Amino acid sequence: MSDAGLYVRLRQAAPIPLDAELACAPGEMLALVGPSGSGKSTILRAIAGLLRVREGRIACNGTVWFDASAGIDWSPQRRRVGFVFQHYALFPHLTALANVMEALLDLPAEARARRARDLLARVHLAGLEGRLPRELSGGQQQRVAVARALARRPNVLLLDEPFSAVDRATRERLYKELAELRTELSMPVVLVTHDLDEALMLADRMCVLAQGRTLQVGPPFDVLSRPASVQVARLLGVKNVFRAGILGHEPEREITWIEWRGHRLEARLQSAFPAGSQVTWAIPQGQIVLHRRDRPSRGERENPISGVVAQFVRLGENAAVTVQVGEATRPPLFLTIPLHVARRNNIDVGARVTVSLLREGIHLMPPDDGYMPAREAAARDAVAGGVR
Amino acid sequence: MPAGRLALLAVLWFAAPSFQVQASDAPIVAAAANMKAPLEEIAQRFRADTGCAVRLVFGSSGNLYRQIEQGAPFQVFLSADEESVFRLAASGRTEDRGVPYAMGRIVLYAPHGSPLEPDEAMDGLRRALEDGRIRRFAIANPEIAPYGRAAEEALRRRELWEHIRPTLVFGENVSQAAQFASGGSAEGGIFAYSQALAPQVSARGRYVVLPRALHEPIRQRMVLVKGAGETARRFYRYVQEPTARDVLQRYGYDLPEQ
Amino acid sequence: MDWTALRLSLELAAWTIAVLLPLAIWFGRVLAWRQFRGKALTEALLALPLVLPPTVLGYYLLVALGGASPLGALYQSITGRPLVFSFEGLLIASVIFNIPFAVQPIQRGFEAIPGEVRDAAACCGLSRWRRFWRIELPLAWPGILSALVLTFAHTLGEFGVVLMVGGSIPGETKTIAIAIYEQVQAFDTVAAGFMSAVLLLISLFAIGATYFSSARLRRPHV
Repeated sequence: MSDAGLYVRLRQAAPIPLDAELACAPGEMLALVGPSGSGKSTILRAIAGLLRVREGRIACNGTVWFDASAGIDWSPQRRRVGFVFQHYALFPHLTALANVMEALLDLPAEARARRARDLLARVHLAGLEGRLPRELSGGQQQRVAVARALARRPNVLLLDEPFSAVDRATRERLYKELAELRTELSMPVVLVTHDLDEALMLADRMCVLAQGRTLQVGPPFDVLSRPASVQVARLLGVKNVFRAGILGHEPEREITWIEWRGHRLEARLQSAFPAGSQVTWAIPQGQIVLHRRDRPSRGERENPISGVVAQFVRLGENAAVTVQVGEATRPPLFLTIPLHVARRNNIDVGARVTVSLLREGIHLMPPDDGYMPAREAAARDAVAGGVR
Repeated sequence: MPAGRLALLAVLWFAAPSFQVQASDAPIVAAAANMKAPLEEIAQRFRADTGCAVRLVFGSSGNLYRQIEQGAPFQVFLSADEESVFRLAASGRTEDRGVPYAMGRIVLYAPHGSPLEPDEAMDGLRRALEDGRIRRFAIANPEIAPYGRAAEEALRRRELWEHIRPTLVFGENVSQAAQFASGGSAEGGIFAYSQALAPQVSARGRYVVLPRALHEPIRQRMVLVKGAGETARRFYRYVQEPTARDVLQRYGYDLPEQ
Repeated sequence: MDWTALRLSLELAAWTIAVLLPLAIWFGRVLAWRQFRGKALTEALLALPLVLPPTVLGYYLLVALGGASPLGALYQSITGRPLVFSFEGLLIASVIFNIPFAVQPIQRGFEAIPGEVRDAAACCGLSRWRRFWRIELPLAWPGILSALVLTFAHTLGEFGVVLMVGGSIPGETKTIAIAIYEQVQAFDTVAAGFMSAVLLLISLFAIGATYFSSARLRRPHV
């Protein structure tokens, strides 16, 4: 592990249980994702030095900021972190300009004002320097908070659910601006969010947390399509999670055969699981293809499954459909189809449909009580199936 | 705004030291409340005659005695009784056992519009009591004020005490009793003669000086507190001299032999 | 009109503020942000002068400051005068009976500052002292102002405790409230009325000035 970037290892039993380990390289954005109470904000505050954890180590660019066993604990001031708080925490009695200038007290006066103006211009707030926080909209306040956080040229930029307090339109605009800003930032950036879509959109890597434990780390899309365990899958809102048995592996064809509700399905090769064992498997909704009368596709050859539509709910321009496969008491398949497709194919409650489960999308995980780090499994598959 | 406030504080800060210096100059003379009017005049004459000033503090003899016991910085004490002085002498707070300086008289007073007709035998009071026309009657608190004790004595000797007790209002000192009685919140009261002579009181009602026979003589004694300064001693002597004695007499006090 | 008594009252109020305000800021801040064992008890003790009858307070102060007490004896050995019936004794009493009037509004003032704002100040690199001076004090100012006004007004008006602990020594402990009382007793209603009107005007001015200035500052909330 190289020295550059942020490295965090935290552990404590109380008052908030933590067992987390994560790293963020310079210029990279790491999203901490998890339900409320999963310790995301606690970890962020610990990184900033606002909170002291019982055991652990935090280092940035080779400098140790916190080491419980060595008795090192640098103050937030010393660590030089930029922190954007959930409610921005602007100083209410100071103008936007003065707010940013507060972070620049080591500079002489005119240099301070100049740099503060530059920063505010960078976040598109030129002209609003003289306004007090209460005279600014939510989105504008957030930008001031970002400018203030960046003023000191911090070693790390930390953002604690910074978009949760604004409306959707503003949020989308802010996403874009943050993405632009990122290209100029050379420091590790850690973003805490409970919104998966935000992580998918903005982050280079994602860390899934639950009850203070890091469950899985990786690029967001990878984590979403290859969750390491059922728990992660559930946390990420993957709906299609089922149990199956391993029939066998065909490494030359890169196929693993599984048996599910009387169907024989071919999945991408994942030989970590021995033949005959029980597994759980998941498939993202995007990997389920509806057999359409009007437009047959090649994908229909893979894993065709037929079932009966149990639920049909209109959601805007799409429909959320559940398909009963096998006995009515077993969990159904979830998929989303555009409304016009549904209409053209007469999809409604009670209709019989056939879908294809794309082989690449079927991801195997240990049964409910098991957990295997995704990295190990991937390594094993790479060895077994040759370089992909 | 904060700057303005700091400035104000600073100004007061500087004022304070000069303040304390002023305070420690003139000695404090503590006197029973009934002595207010005559003593103020005596102090004025004292200043005119000697050029020295004294500061006057008034209260009930009992309170003043207690304060001196606790170390209050009084240098001369003019009590309305003798006991207080003797007790202070016994606990070593005074130079000696002091001297008598006046003999007090009490009056029976009724404000204008009251159903009470004051007379020396207090028959009018008896009648008014029997008719139930007395709702409130003011005297000084007998526990701490000698004039209150005298009032109680007089009422007892005329066998009015038990009857009047439920209507009694106690003043913390004899001044307050006079104030209650003349202010119109009571139908009458008993307090010091010297107070009845004050224009604000005499204008508001009628009174009669009660006979000496009705109570133990109110022997008022004064004493120098231990450690008294030169001015205090001069004042102490001054009160015993003819100028002061004249004033006392004018205010209705009998004078002790010299 | 007893100008000496008025000046004495104003000095007592000013000195009380000078002594009490820094202490109240310290205590108020600690109570606002720290949790510790016995905190509830501490708060109750600090609020005691609010609910205690003035005479009870006066009695206990006499016991604590009188000639027989260690504090009183110490003072007497240094100055040769008793602590009670002196301005200094009165000042001690005044500081004590004003504690809740000063501490509570200041505590509320600090409590109103969101924890995030203090954290943000730390992340901006502000040292603890700078954070206090530049961020916390300005934001707690309405509370401090409140404390100032309440203490000032309360001291001007305090009667029972002043009388018990100070006596009524002209130029030393005879405050204007006591002077008014004595003038009423002496039937000098003109003087009493005049002094009361002056006191009323001063109090009105003090409260008006502070409300005006806090309205101008118009504390916002994030």
